[in-house]
Amino acid sequence: MSQRHTITALVQNESGTINRVVSLFRRRGFSLASFNAGDCEQVGFSRMTFVVDGDHGVMVQVLRQLDKLIDVVDCESLEPEKSVSREMVLVRCQPRPEQRESLYNLVLEFFGKTPAASETAVVVEFAGDLAEVERLIEALQPYTIQEIVRTGLVAIKLD
Amino acid sequence: MERSGARVVMEALERQGVDVFFGYPGGVVLPLYDEMLNWPQIKHILVRHEQAAAHMADGYARATGRVGVCLATSGPGATNLVTGIANAIMDSIPMVAITGNVNSWAIGKDAFQETDIQGITIPITKHNYLVTNVDDLPYVLEEAFYLANTGRKGPVLVDIPKDVFIKKTSVAFPDKIERRGYRLPPTPDAGQIATAAKMIAEAQKPVIIAGAGVMHSHSWDELRTLAETCDIPVINSLLGLGCFPRDHELSLGMMGMHGEATGTLAVQEADLVMGIGIRFDDRLTGDTSKFAPNAKILHFDLDISEVGKTVTPIAFVIGDLKDSLQAVLKEVAPKTHPAWRAQVKSWQETYPLVVPEGKFLSRTVLRALNEHTEGEAIVSTDVGQHQMWTSQFIKFKKPHTWLSSGGLGTMGFGFPAAMGAKFAQPDAEVWAVVGDGGFQMTLQELQTAVEFNCNVKIALLNNGYLGMVRQWQELFYDHRYSHVAMGSPDFGKLAEAYGVKFLRCSRTEDLDATLEEARAHNGPVLCEFVVEMEENVFPMVPAGGSNSQVIMDPALKTPVEAAK
Ligand SMILES: Cc1ncc(C[n+]2csc(CCOP(=O)(O)OP(=O)(O)O)c2C)c(N)n1
Ligand SMILES: [Mg+2]
Repeated sequence: MSQRHTITALVQNESGTINRVVSLFRRRGFSLASFNAGDCEQVGFSRMTFVVDGDHGVMVQVLRQLDKLIDVVDCESLEPEKSVSREMVLVRCQPRPEQRESLYNLVLEFFGKTPAASETAVVVEFAGDLAEVERLIEALQPYTIQEIVRTGLVAIKLD
Repeated sequence: MERSGARVVMEALERQGVDVFFGYPGGVVLPLYDEMLNWPQIKHILVRHEQAAAHMADGYARATGRVGVCLATSGPGATNLVTGIANAIMDSIPMVAITGNVNSWAIGKDAFQETDIQGITIPITKHNYLVTNVDDLPYVLEEAFYLANTGRKGPVLVDIPKDVFIKKTSVAFPDKIERRGYRLPPTPDAGQIATAAKMIAEAQKPVIIAGAGVMHSHSWDELRTLAETCDIPVINSLLGLGCFPRDHELSLGMMGMHGEATGTLAVQEADLVMGIGIRFDDRLTGDTSKFAPNAKILHFDLDISEVGKTVTPIAFVIGDLKDSLQAVLKEVAPKTHPAWRAQVKSWQETYPLVVPEGKFLSRTVLRALNEHTEGEAIVSTDVGQHQMWTSQFIKFKKPHTWLSSGGLGTMGFGFPAAMGAKFAQPDAEVWAVVGDGGFQMTLQELQTAVEFNCNVKIALLNNGYLGMVRQWQELFYDHRYSHVAMGSPDFGKLAEAYGVKFLRCSRTEDLDATLEEARAHNGPVLCEFVVEMEENVFPMVPAGGSNSQVIMDPALKTPVEAAK
């Protein structure tokens, strides 16, 4: 049964590391729904989060193949109940003048922010789990969405 | 002590005990070629094409288990290595490929002969490096050799910009490689071992399929003890040939698309299939849903990613095969399977390999070659029909004597790989069995062989066709031969031009004399065997077909009745 799996990896930063890791997904035909990489608590290392679609067997293969890469120190699949996963999204809307107030109210309801605005545009910032992000984007539809930028999921386990 | 990056490279080769390596110069590796003149004890073989350098390094590694080293300049030199590197990763061959690159400050600017060889080889190396700081070079080179030859072996590429060869460093080589997250195979788990032992104890019709992993882990003695103690017939995967003596009464030879029928039938009938150091490749399993339908599958390997990749085993043992087999041997009691052995024997009698008489066939030649060399010579092959017949007819007795491109199936591999093996094992008798097609892909190395008096014997089976492709067109495309009739030069004149001894044989009567003369000559010999043009390899399991539907050799008189 195909499912979403959230996988995180600790990798050593070297020339070619990101290339090598991402190339693995393409080469082996794993379906990568989102990918995020950034610095972490250890100097010279990064943490990556992958969202992968596939059955249990695919998830196991992804982990085993990732683990074989020399740059990958550790990797694991996170259980939803024992981890937190979030995605940040920035949306630039172009509300009509009479819509502005309701847009600000909507963002407040979502506990989002509006870090920047111009005469014509408002940038909405929001972080939440995948479902919340999808709901926000849906709710912003009436406000003429011009651009959406998403980070891809980042995830951390509880213990 | 402060020394140049070029000197660091040569020091690294010396530290690793590299006695010979294979390369081709160019602009950006000039500093290294200059430094080489100070190291006469490390022999550099100047090839005629970088692909051959990679295949020679590969042959060197297959014949010894040591890391093979090849070297090329940037750009076209580096890209010419690519086929050889891809070949090595498919067969888990320990190799270090060193490439030069343009000056570090010019990288990314499309400088003359710049190519992103690191990017290109990411999917075909175990690991690769671009070294932009000379201080990193001692560690990187040491780690490259370590990675290439530990765990699941494979090729590692080190790309070194020209200025890094020139710059000086006083950084010493590390005493120890410590790489976070790089884990050597675990000690086999006691529970897994107990399960394996229990499965062996309960089996009535067990078989072992032993692969190249046995070679890589030097566990052929353990394999043999296990087979003998528990009375288990041993089949080899293509690359496993040699890890179990073919003349042993428990040996059933190779299985796979063109494996001997007995092995295939035995697997389809077995109640326990033990895969030892194999990766259940599609050429071996055929249609996986029909593979070994009656068997529990027990998989021994060091690489857990191989478990369940194509065939799902009931149980597995992960660890270095030597440790795993030793641990299992402690847990198993001697047993016998007389009924099963009798069944296997009757298949062997019903479905032997056949060599029809009265014609001069590739099989006629290879049967004779086997009689002359008695499974003692190192034999490499190219890719095609001759490769399959060699795997069937040469009765390998010892590990590291069979060199063939299994995973990638690289035409052009056979001859340079044989040369690499000969450079590695100067005292061994080395044969390259090649087809007229594949030989023409790397025959330029005849010149290299002449220059170094590299004493390899080339058995060129000239059938005038890209035979394996022709066979598929005959069987699956209704005899419509499309671009498989292959012209060749006059090989006699070619050999003469290179100054290589040449023998041509087209009759069975002359076969013994030809082989004797070739073997007696101290130097390279090209033996052209002008064989029957349309000969087919059997048995055969068509690609993706079920192993229960083996197409037997039509020359067999017995009606064909494959196991259900
Ligand atoms: C580099 C490369 N190109 C194409 C193929 C496809 N191929 C596999 S076998 C074969 C025919 C080989 O012909 P030859 O070398 O004459 O050997 P034969 O089969 O006749 O023994 C070909 C073209 C290949 N394996 N490798
Ligand atoms: Mg041919």
